[in-house]
Amino acid sequence: MGIVQFLSDLLPETIPYWALVLLGAGIAFAIIIAFVSVVAIFSVWLERKVAGHIQSRLGPMYVGGWHGWAQSIADGIKLILKEDVILTDADRPLFKLAPCIVLGTALAAFVAVPFAPGVVPADINLGVFFIVAVSSLTTIGVLMAGWGSNNKWSLYGAMREAAQVASYEIPLGLSLMMPVMYFGSFSLSQASEMQAGWGGLHWYIFSDSFWIAIPSFVLFFTAALAETKRAPFDLPESESELVAGFHTEYSGIRFSFFFMEEYAAMYLMSAIGTALWFGGWNFPGLYLLEGTALFTPLAIAVFVVKSMFLVFVMMWVRWTVPRIRIDQVMALGYKYLTPIGLFLVLVASVWEYIKFSMMGV
Amino acid sequence: MNQLLQEPTQDGSQRTWFGNVYSAIRSTASGMGVTLRHLFSKPVTLQYPEERPIVDDRYRGVHYLEQDLCIYCDACAKACPIDCIDMEAVRHGKELEWKTFTVDYQKCMHCELCVYPCPKDCIHLGQEITHLAEDRSDLVHELLSYTGLTEEQKVRIAEAEAKKAAKKAALAAKKATEVKEPTEAEDPAETQDAVETENPEEEQKDG
Ligand code: SF4
Ligand code: SF4
Repeated sequence: MGIVQFLSDLLPETIPYWALVLLGAGIAFAIIIAFVSVVAIFSVWLERKVAGHIQSRLGPMYVGGWHGWAQSIADGIKLILKEDVILTDADRPLFKLAPCIVLGTALAAFVAVPFAPGVVPADINLGVFFIVAVSSLTTIGVLMAGWGSNNKWSLYGAMREAAQVASYEIPLGLSLMMPVMYFGSFSLSQASEMQAGWGGLHWYIFSDSFWIAIPSFVLFFTAALAETKRAPFDLPESESELVAGFHTEYSGIRFSFFFMEEYAAMYLMSAIGTALWFGGWNFPGLYLLEGTALFTPLAIAVFVVKSMFLVFVMMWVRWTVPRIRIDQVMALGYKYLTPIGLFLVLVASVWEYIKFSMMGV
Repeated sequence: MNQLLQEPTQDGSQRTWFGNVYSAIRSTASGMGVTLRHLFSKPVTLQYPEERPIVDDRYRGVHYLEQDLCIYCDACAKACPIDCIDMEAVRHGKELEWKTFTVDYQKCMHCELCVYPCPKDCIHLGQEITHLAEDRSDLVHELLSYTGLTEEQKVRIAEAEAKKAAKKAALAAKKATEVKEPTEAEDPAETQDAVETENPEEEQKDG
């Protein structure tokens, strides 16, 4: 059930359909932006704590009291209060538009994320396809930022981003084929519903196709790291070579948009991973509560915790693996991940066909 | 095809495509194991302003002075190669009225050369490791715990003065008798020297 249908049930019938759509879009946008801000703020704090503890430090400890929980809120306020510098030589329209496009596409992709049964802003039946298509549009924003900054480092960063995202789009798409073949659907919420068996533990990664699910998840995760510009693939913003890559010239709130986009994209990729491989909102024992008022909040909590765990794994990888060279990034994408993905697609399609024709599952 | 899949490794040998995949997975997994262990290990850092590091006994930190032992001999200040020590005190007999005893940490290099010459072994380099200041002048540390005279010192000075006065009085009394005595027992046997030494005193008294 989408938000528009919910509104049309709630409001009198005299309201025209387009107004309902606009209202629904506004509400969904407000909820998503609030959710993404909270996720970004929490993830920034978590990232700093994880980084600290992995390096045997403590990370932020003061702001707000308990383990510096308010550190990233304070940082956010600082970023908002800072001067918004635009260079004289910058291409002003591009420079100003770039952060909005980057953050906007990341937020748009959240539309298809299924948080709980019925709690999905727009239940698109091509959800997987939509998210992958929309989230890779951030590259355009990054290119605009790099070009508009009129700075060689920014442009290098943006070009690397374009090359990297364009090449990792292939393994990412291929890796998503395996769960799509297993579930027989592109819809994320349908995929989550189909993993509800076994008391809530019939996840794709534990199913009879687990021997395809595990390598495909590794493939997906690696490609997702590259898509979200996370270490070891953070070449677009590699601070040791390019100052800060494509957002070198940004400051204040525009910089914080790029920052938020990074964490929003991380969460988005983790949400896809959760919905397709790790059972979405399903959790052993949760089905007992079905029908009660507690079910939806708990399902949302399960989904968010699962995807936050994948976000944590991304951070864990970031603080483990050093950044690799651009030629190694390309070699990994084209020479390794793409052939592996093609091979897995072949194996998975044969396996699913055998299952379907022999056992009729 | 086979050549395409092979890449030279660091030692020049050829590794196969599958070897690369295997080593990538293995090294990443073992690396993540290491970082996971560190994630749950105890942090090695200190929460600095609240916790201070425990330094070795021989650590050469900020000076401290045992003020009551110090005799204001200036040996430490003379020993210092860059003249960071500055002291001022007023002597009241044996007692010292301390005005100031500073070390300038803009210059001090914690060489400990000021410690060795001290005859009373009362200046030390302590365990405190930080010099925090908002201003350059704050880096000139005052080592005295009190300035001026303490009550005890005042009592002792008063006692000493009283003793001195008593001594003086006694001396004066003695002199008085001595002055009288010569008139009685003056005899030509007295040497010239004795007369010479006594004369100024008599003159003073007369004056
Ligand atoms: S430690 Fe060295 S530099 Fe510092 S006051 Fe003593 S003698 Fe001078
Ligand atoms: S050398 Fe020792 S006794 Fe002499 S002035 Fe310095 S601290 Fe005092």
